[in-house]
Amino acid sequence: MDTFEPVIVAFCCHYCAYTAADMAGTMRYSYPPNVYIIRVPCSGKVDALHIMKAFQKGADGVYVAGCLEGDCHFKTGNIKAAHMVAYLKGLLDEIGIGAERLEMFTMSAGMGERFARIATDFTERIRKLGPNPAKAGSDKTDKVAVG
Amino acid sequence: METYEDKYNNRALVIGGGIGGIKAALDLAEGGKNVVLIDKAPSIGGLMTQLDRTFPTNNCDLCTLSPHLAESGRELHIDLLTLTELVDADSEGGKFKVTLKTSPRFIDLSRCTACGDCFKNFPECVRFTPGLDHRAPTCMRYPQSTPYAYSIDMAKCKDVDALGKVCPANAIIPDDKEKLLELEFGSIILAPGAELVDPRPLEVYGYGVLPNIVTGLEYERILSASGPTLGELIRPSDKKQPKKIAWIQCVGSRSVKEGCVSYCSSACCMYALKEAIVTKERFQNDIETAIFYMDMRTSGKDYELYLQRAKEEYGIRLVRSRPESVEREPGTDNLSITYTITENTLPVRENFDMVILSNGFRISDDLIGLAEKLGVELNEHRFAKTGAFEPVATSKHGIYVCGLFEAPKDIPETMVQASAAACMAMEDLQSEGASKKPEEEFPPERDVSKEEPRIGVFVCDCGYNIAGLINTSEMVDYAGKLPQVAVSEGVGYGCSRESLEHIQQVIQEEKLNRVVIGGCSPRTHETLFQDTIRKAGLNKYLVEIANIRDQDTWVHLDRASEASDKAKDLIRMAVTSVALSHPLKEHVLPMNKDILVVGGGVAGMTAALKLADGGFKVYLVEKSGELGGIARTIRKTLEGEDVQHFMKDLIERTTNHKNIQVLTKSMIVDHTGMPGLFTTGLQVGPRMFYRQIKHGVTILATGALANRPREYLLDEHEAVMTQLDLDGFLEDHKDKVKAWKKVVMIQCVGSRCPENPNCSRICCQSAIKNALRLLDINPEIQIYVLYRDMRTYGFQEDFYREARKRGVLFFRYEPDDSPKVSGRNERVEVIFKDPILNREITVTTDCLALSTGLVADEEDTEDLAMIFHLPRTSDGFFLEDHVKLRPVDLPVPGFFIAGTAHSPKTIRESIAQGQAAAGRAQTLLARDTINLGATVARVDSEKCAACLICVRACPFDVPFINADGYSEIDPAKCHGCGICAAECPAKAIQLMQYEDDQIMAKLDGLFERIA
Repeated sequence: MDTFEPVIVAFCCHYCAYTAADMAGTMRYSYPPNVYIIRVPCSGKVDALHIMKAFQKGADGVYVAGCLEGDCHFKTGNIKAAHMVAYLKGLLDEIGIGAERLEMFTMSAGMGERFARIATDFTERIRKLGPNPAKAGSDKTDKVAVG
Repeated sequence: METYEDKYNNRALVIGGGIGGIKAALDLAEGGKNVVLIDKAPSIGGLMTQLDRTFPTNNCDLCTLSPHLAESGRELHIDLLTLTELVDADSEGGKFKVTLKTSPRFIDLSRCTACGDCFKNFPECVRFTPGLDHRAPTCMRYPQSTPYAYSIDMAKCKDVDALGKVCPANAIIPDDKEKLLELEFGSIILAPGAELVDPRPLEVYGYGVLPNIVTGLEYERILSASGPTLGELIRPSDKKQPKKIAWIQCVGSRSVKEGCVSYCSSACCMYALKEAIVTKERFQNDIETAIFYMDMRTSGKDYELYLQRAKEEYGIRLVRSRPESVEREPGTDNLSITYTITENTLPVRENFDMVILSNGFRISDDLIGLAEKLGVELNEHRFAKTGAFEPVATSKHGIYVCGLFEAPKDIPETMVQASAAACMAMEDLQSEGASKKPEEEFPPERDVSKEEPRIGVFVCDCGYNIAGLINTSEMVDYAGKLPQVAVSEGVGYGCSRESLEHIQQVIQEEKLNRVVIGGCSPRTHETLFQDTIRKAGLNKYLVEIANIRDQDTWVHLDRASEASDKAKDLIRMAVTSVALSHPLKEHVLPMNKDILVVGGGVAGMTAALKLADGGFKVYLVEKSGELGGIARTIRKTLEGEDVQHFMKDLIERTTNHKNIQVLTKSMIVDHTGMPGLFTTGLQVGPRMFYRQIKHGVTILATGALANRPREYLLDEHEAVMTQLDLDGFLEDHKDKVKAWKKVVMIQCVGSRCPENPNCSRICCQSAIKNALRLLDINPEIQIYVLYRDMRTYGFQEDFYREARKRGVLFFRYEPDDSPKVSGRNERVEVIFKDPILNREITVTTDCLALSTGLVADEEDTEDLAMIFHLPRTSDGFFLEDHVKLRPVDLPVPGFFIAGTAHSPKTIRESIAQGQAAAGRAQTLLARDTINLGATVARVDSEKCAACLICVRACPFDVPFINADGYSEIDPAKCHGCGICAAECPAKAIQLMQYEDDQIMAKLDGLFERIA
C-alpha cells in the first residue's frame, strides 16, 4: 500500500492562490508532486461540476484555493466558493467518497510557504485516506496483492 | 553618449520609481505621453515593496502592488531606467535638458531570467538592501521585482570569470560601464520619496544598541512572508517569539530636539495600528500589544473605524504617553520602558520583549542636491515648496511633485498627488504634440476556425531551472507523440528574443494554429507569448502555458523523476485544453470624449478647468444656484491664504471657459451606458426642463455638508457658533473680537461619536487657524481648546506648536466626560475637567466655537449612488475602487471622484484630487476606442431559463433579464470572474478563455495517464 500516490487537483484563483503557488516556486518551498494546479480567474469560477467530474475521473482529492476573506479580487468569489465546497462535502459523504477529500483554502498571493504547507498536508491527508473509492474497479489493490 | 532624440521628441521625466512615481508614469503613458521613469535602486517599487501589509484593508502589499510594477515594465510608452540618477539639468523655454547617469548593473536585462544561480554561488556580490537583513531568500530586492533581474556589486566580486561562468543565460557583463544619457523633456515629475528618520542619535530609545528594538519598517520585514525570517515573528536577540510588544510613536517626529523633525509624519499612527492588528490577528491571546502615543492621528477616510477596531476587536492597549527611556532589563534581552501617564504623577516602568519605534519621514540630503540642480525651492523642512492652491506645482514651472517629497503622507494621498502631477505634466506636453513610440504592427489574423488543431509545443529549459532537474528533450519527444501535436521543439530560453522569433517562424512555416509553451508562469509571461503568436498571424487566445518551472521543477527539487512525470502531465493537460481554445474577439468601443462633472465646488471646478484647458468639452452640473460649494463661505486657510480671492478667480474662469457648459440648479435623474458611451438625464433650471447629456467619462465632485449638530447650544445661543461661522465672523466683526476676553473651542462635535464615528479631518486645523487669527486681532484673548486628539498632521503641526507657544491652552477630554455648556446672559459657561490637575474648571466665555466638521449629504449621495450604481461607505461618502491604490477611480469604469464627496479634506487636498480626477479621466480620453478584453461571460439564450441566479450571483450587478426574456451580460461591464458561469444551473453561461470544456479537457488530460 505504501506505493499509493494520490492525484490531487487544486483549483487556484489567478490573483492569490496561483500567485502564491508561483511564489512557493520562487522561494523553492518544496511540496509533493501529487498536486496539479488548474488556474481559474476566481475561486468563485470553480463549478461544482468540475469538482465532481474530477472525482469521477479519478482524483483522490480536490481543493479550491482562493484569496483571503475580504481580499477577493471579485469581491465575494471566495465566499461563494467556500459555500459551494461546504455543500459538496455533504454530497460526497452521501455518495461514499467522503467529505475529507475536498477542501477550501484561502491565502494571499505572498503566502508561498502556506501554499506549500497546504499542498503537503493535504497530500498526506489523502494518502492516509487511500484511493478514491469511486475510481473504476479496484485494480490498484489487485496489483498490491499480486506484487 | 547615447541619445534617443530621433525616436521621440517629447516626453516627461519621472524621478523616483516608488508607488507615486509608478502611478504618475502609468497615468502619463495611458494618456498617450512618453515617459522616462528613473530610479536609483536596481528595481522599482520604493518603500512600499518592503511593507508586509497596508492599512486599512490589511491586504498583502506585493499582491496589490506587483501588477502595477509589471504594468510599468510592459507599458509601451515607458522607458524604465533603474540604477539611474539625474546628474545635470538645464531649462529653457519650457524644455528641460537633462543628463542621466546609469550605473552598471553588470547584468544584461534582456538575458537575465532571475534564476538565482549567481546568488547561489556568489552571494557576496549580489546586491541587497542592508539593515536587519532585508534580503528576500532569492536575494532580489523583493520577489516579483521589476525588472525581474539580479544586480551585481562588482566591487565585492573577486573572481569575475567564475561569476560569469555560473550564469546559464550568459547575462553577466563584467565590463558593463556607467552610461550617460542626455535627453530633453517637456515636463518633470519629482517622486523621489523620503527616508526614515534614523533613531540612532535619539539615545533614550536605545536603537542600534539593544537588539530587540527595531523600527516599524524592520518589523514589517520580520512579518513579511518574503522577509528575512520568512514571516516568522521572532525577535532578533534569541530568535524567540515575543509575548509582549510595544510601539512607540513619534520617534524623531513632532520634536524640536537634535536629530528630529518638528512636523508630524502623518502615516505612523496608522502603520503602528496596522502592525499591531496584524500581530494580534496572527497570535491573538498569545501576544500582548501596547502603543505609546501622544495623539492618535487617524484622520483619513474610515481610519477612525480602524482605530476603534484595534481597541475593541483586537484588544490593543493604547497608552497616551511619550516614553522617557527604553532600557535593557538587567540580565535579560527584555526591555523596560519608563513612561508617565497623566493620571499618575510618578513614572511607571513596564517590561516588554520587543519594542518597535514608529519613526517618521525626513528628506534625504541628496534630494537637496537634486532640487538645486533643477532650481526647485524647498520649504523650511526641506520638502519641495508648492503653491497654496497648487498642491503639486513646485516653484519651477513645468516641474511637479507628488508623494512624500511634497509633505509626509500615506499611500492613498500619494496616489492622488501622482495622478494630479501627471495631469499637470500632460498639459505641458500637450502643446508640444507628443509623438508616440512606434506601435507594433500586427499582421491580419488567420482564420483557423475550419482547420483541425495543429498544435506546436515549445519546451523551455530555462538554463538549469528546468533542464537542471528534468530532461527537456524527453519532454519534447513525449509531447511530439501527443494527438494533434504537429511540432514539438526545445527552445532554450523561450522568452529570449531569438526564441520568440523562432517560435513565430515555426508557426508560420508549419501552419500551426495552437501553441503550448512549457515554461514558467503564465502570470508573468502570457502576454509575451500572446504577442508572439499574434505576430505570427494567430489570435492571441490560442496559446496555453504549462507552468513546468515555478510549479514543478522549482518545487520538486529533490524528486527528479516525479517532477519529470509531472511536467509531461502538465504539458499534456495544456495540449488537450488548447485544442479546444478558439479565437476570441476583444471588445472595442468608440469613445465619446465629453465629460460630465457633477458638483461645482472647488474639486469639480478644478477638474472641469483642467479638462477644458486640455481641449475637452465639459458639462458642469451644479445642484444649487451658484458655483463654489462650501469654499465660498471660507475666508482664510490655515496658512493665511485668501480663499475668497482664489474662489472668485476659479468661478470666473469656469464660467467664462469656452469648453465648459455650466448647468446650475440641475439635478441628475437617470443614467445609462458604459464608459465612452454614457447618457445622463438631468432636470435643469427653475422649471426643471429635462435634457440628456452624452458623455464618455463622469467625475463626481458633489462635496459634503458642513455639519451642524444640535449640541452645546448651537443655534440656540448667540455666542455659540461653528468654526466655519467663526472664520467669517473674524473677518466681518473685528471690533467685537477685540472686546472678547475668552474663547472656548470644543473639538469633535458631531464627529467620532456613535452617530458619526469617523473623524472629520479638517476641524483640528480649523481650530488652530481660528485660534491664531483671534490672537492676531486680539493678543490678550485667552483661548481654551478642548480636544480628544489634536490631529494636526504634516506641516499643520507647525501651527499647533505656534498656538501653544502663543498661549493657547489645550485640555483633553474623554467622550464620556464631555464639557458641560450653559448660557450666562450673552456669554456661555463651559465646565470641563483638566486631566492633569484632575479637577473641574469653569470658564465663562464670550464665544464658544464648535469644531463640527463635514458630513456626507446622505439624501443626495443616496440618490446618486442609486442612479449611477455606486457604493458608499457606511457614513454616506462614495467608496473608491481601491482605498489604497485607486483613490480617484470609482468601482464603476469611467467614473472618477474628487473632493469631499470622497471624504472630508482641506481645500488643497480637494484641488489635488480634482486635478487627479482630470488626469485619470484623460487616461481614458486619450484613446479613440476602449478595449474591454475578451475574458467575459457569454450567455447562450437557447439554454437560459431566466432563473435569475446569475443576476443575484454577479458581484457587480451586470446580468439582467432582457426584453426577450433571457439573461444578458454586457461585455463592457463584465469583470470576467466567471462566478455566474459557475452558478448557472443550466450551464447557459460560459466564461470565455475559461470555458467548461477547456477545464474538463485539462482534467481529461491529467487522468489519461492514470486511467
